[in-house]
Amino acid sequence: MNRSHKIWTAWLVVLAITAMAVTHVAMAAAPDALPPGTDAIAPAPAGDAGSAQSTEPATDAQAPVAAPDTRALDEDIQSIKKDVVDLNRDLFVLEEELLFPANTQVAVFLSMDVGEFFALDTVELRLDDKQVTKYLYTPREAEALLKGGVQRLYLGNLRVGNHELVALFTGKGPNGQDYSRGAQLRFEKAVGAKYLELKISDRQRKRQPEFQIKDWE
Amino acid sequence: MAWTASAADAAYRLLGKPAPDFALRATSGKNFRLSEYRGDVVAVTFWGSRCGTCGAQLSALSRMVDTYQSAGLTALAVNVDDDQAAAASFAVAHPVSFPVLLDPAKTVARQYRVDNLPMLLLIDRGGAIRYVYRNHRSGSDAQYLEQIRVLLDE
Repeated sequence: MNRSHKIWTAWLVVLAITAMAVTHVAMAAAPDALPPGTDAIAPAPAGDAGSAQSTEPATDAQAPVAAPDTRALDEDIQSIKKDVVDLNRDLFVLEEELLFPANTQVAVFLSMDVGEFFALDTVELRLDDKQVTKYLYTPREAEALLKGGVQRLYLGNLRVGNHELVALFTGKGPNGQDYSRGAQLRFEKAVGAKYLELKISDRQRKRQPEFQIKDWE
Repeated sequence: MAWTASAADAAYRLLGKPAPDFALRATSGKNFRLSEYRGDVVAVTFWGSRCGTCGAQLSALSRMVDTYQSAGLTALAVNVDDDQAAAASFAVAHPVSFPVLLDPAKTVARQYRVDNLPMLLLIDRGGAIRYVYRNHRSGSDAQYLEQIRVLLDE
């Protein structure tokens, strides 16, 4: 079974479960909910530019009082929603495992420490002299990194062998001037996932920022 | 003319779909990312300094943002000029109350399939593109306002 086949199968499973959930909710809501001869959803009015909201149920003066078991129905809906969220998470993990198998996976993370001498603006990553990502940081994202956040900047695949990673950092330097620095790492990719970390820290003695690439063995 | 999410016309393929995320530098020097406004109604307009009606649309949007900002309306104006200096001077001549972003490489404009200037997109609180306007005429302001109010009420 190839990768795309697996993904399609997973999507079909999700669709089937969603359809079952919708049917279940509809069946639970249907009995005695509407008087005979009344459609559950009124047909949308034609030719109305604002009819994006026209799928709302029609307000009917003869609408019946809500069924007494609405609480049970609400619990059912919440349970189904949770199932869908769980399935979506599983699907995401499955998709990631299929697209980036552990044998060829390479992930690059970014972390910052202190940040007194450097305000991050962009990071450009080049793997084997090919740009793989260029990320522009908003003040909020830079602040999150300074608070200890670690960002997964890149996730991709690499074949076994020797490779080179170059990271180019731009931002504001110690005195608020434009500042640009690079860091380079040659590494060997073996069978199994490879994790690399770009680390920006302050070098207090020189009052300069320091840029390192760390190989998580 | 406004294309709505309910229209059968598939002329604008991103309608009803999640707005592609982007990050751009503003004329102020700060960077802005669209996804940071999730939960707000966002008006994204693509404009150029040589476009005749862009200034009028920016002014109209600025007034609306001033009025409805507290209700959750924000706007981002994406300039697609090659010449960033021209964009900056235009922005100075037409001051607005929201960020003016620069997209000289037109990366974001391509993502959004911009084919006319000005082009305005209204994005709902969930991040989906709900309305698209490919032109600005007299009376367009009232249309924007009507649709913005619908999105703010959701």
